[in-house]
Amino acid sequence: MQTIKNPAMPSSPKKTSKPLASRIFDGENMRSVQLGRILLTLFFIGTWQLGAGRIFETFYFSKPSAIIAHLWKELFDTGFYYDLWITSVEMFLGYAFGAIAGIVLGVALSRWEYVSRVVDPFLLALNSIPRIAVAPLLIVWFGIDMSSKVFLAATLVFFIMFFNTLSGVRSVNRAYCDIARIQGASERQIFTKVMLPSASSWIITGLKMSLPFALVGVIIGEFMVSSHGLGYRLNYYSTSYNTTGALAIIIFMMILMMALTTVVDKIEARLLRWRPSHLNAAENFKV
Amino acid sequence: MNNDLNAQTRSNALLSMEGVAKQFSGRDRQVVALQNTDLEIFAGEFITVVGPSGCGKSTLLNLIAGLMAPSEGTVRFKGKPVVGVDRSIGYITQQDNLFPWLTLRDNVAFPLELVGVPEKERHDRAHSWLERVGLAGFEKAYPHELSGGMRQRGNIVRTLIYEPSIILMDEPFGPLDAQTRISLQETLLSIWESTRSTVVFITHDLTEAIALGDRVILMSARPGRIVRDDKVEISRPRDVFFIQSDPQFRRLYDEIWQDLAAQVHEHANH
Repeated sequence: MQTIKNPAMPSSPKKTSKPLASRIFDGENMRSVQLGRILLTLFFIGTWQLGAGRIFETFYFSKPSAIIAHLWKELFDTGFYYDLWITSVEMFLGYAFGAIAGIVLGVALSRWEYVSRVVDPFLLALNSIPRIAVAPLLIVWFGIDMSSKVFLAATLVFFIMFFNTLSGVRSVNRAYCDIARIQGASERQIFTKVMLPSASSWIITGLKMSLPFALVGVIIGEFMVSSHGLGYRLNYYSTSYNTTGALAIIIFMMILMMALTTVVDKIEARLLRWRPSHLNAAENFKV
Repeated sequence: MNNDLNAQTRSNALLSMEGVAKQFSGRDRQVVALQNTDLEIFAGEFITVVGPSGCGKSTLLNLIAGLMAPSEGTVRFKGKPVVGVDRSIGYITQQDNLFPWLTLRDNVAFPLELVGVPEKERHDRAHSWLERVGLAGFEKAYPHELSGGMRQRGNIVRTLIYEPSIILMDEPFGPLDAQTRISLQETLLSIWESTRSTVVFITHDLTEAIALGDRVILMSARPGRIVRDDKVEISRPRDVFFIQSDPQFRRLYDEIWQDLAAQVHEHANH
């Protein structure tokens, strides 16, 4: 599960260049790309549907029609909405706490060179702990209610935000600071009016990157011990060998995450409209 | 007696350098960027500094701006030694360095924001300056949406807007193409005619130096020092598009060129 790469080296928002593919397929070619995508989707779902019971065992892999029927049934189940609500609240709180703590500490340490150098290896060590290994202990420390899930999500989000914020403030172009200083800016003004705005693109990119990790943290927590939440529901279905139900929840999570990412992308594009457009395009392309 | 005389000249010059030298220590040797430099700049003068590349022209500006401290000698601004940067000394760099996260208008108004000028006034002043350099209508554009020439115009007015008493310019038109250069020279001169602020303008282009300056200072190849200091008597307002056919221009150009060519030669042989 531990898919987190080393957030100590987040992908620099400055260095991303537009991938060749998106340059070639701009404009009129876009329609044929979309056609290709639809065909691929139809091929995938069609093979799955027609092959179910013939090539694949339906017990293990279910089939698209059954999954859609199950998903439809879930949408009329109040219990499903309650689980969705619990997971959403946990995810939101974990994301918010992790992001705020990461940004605040990142900014603070960027200003406080000595402390930053002292604690650097410790933060690296903390971030090297596979979070799933600590999950059972978190249940012991925080109990089985929401707080353990919120904490788990927050730790994942925190490190991404912390390292991104720190790199952002540190990578400010020195010439910008000199210009402001010559124009009469105080050290405080240089920080608030030059360094922070310049770091904002890193911070916003961090907010986008860390969003999926908030969901991952919550789901792991719910797998451990819980009585509510989408993770609980998924775990319930899979342990009772209801692959149709489990896949329905997984697909629902996928759609949920895609929707959230789309919203965040829109917000990012709006906030970072000062960045050369090809950089924004490159960011979107990755999703 | 002698001291009194020094004090007298100091008070007259807006900016003076007395026996200024600057060395940089590399890993195994010392590089002398500037040696034994005396210079006086008076209020309202347009000084151009020309010399072979790497002759310490930028070091000269950094010393005046207070970004560097001299190894020997003193730089005085209004009679007081320069220590650290001072808002009354403006600095226009070769790279435009407009803040990418601010619109053109906010970039230009930034020095006013620093001292708490109200937003309305800031915008009005930025607008009128942008209009003077032909950038009206581009207030809300971000730097990446503008051409190099437009960004450099923006870079110039964001220094002019807060009216520093001396403006340092380090090859501001260096990276631009020939047509854009001339058009920017013209804009700069027309603004200068109306403000008559003190300018120290560095360039490697002798034509530009004579066309713009009241005084052309020629610097030697490294270690840099002042070789010549010529007054340009061509009357103002000048037409930068046709100044090259002016007989005074030609005479001065040929004269300075002799020495500049020798310096470039020497620099190449080092």
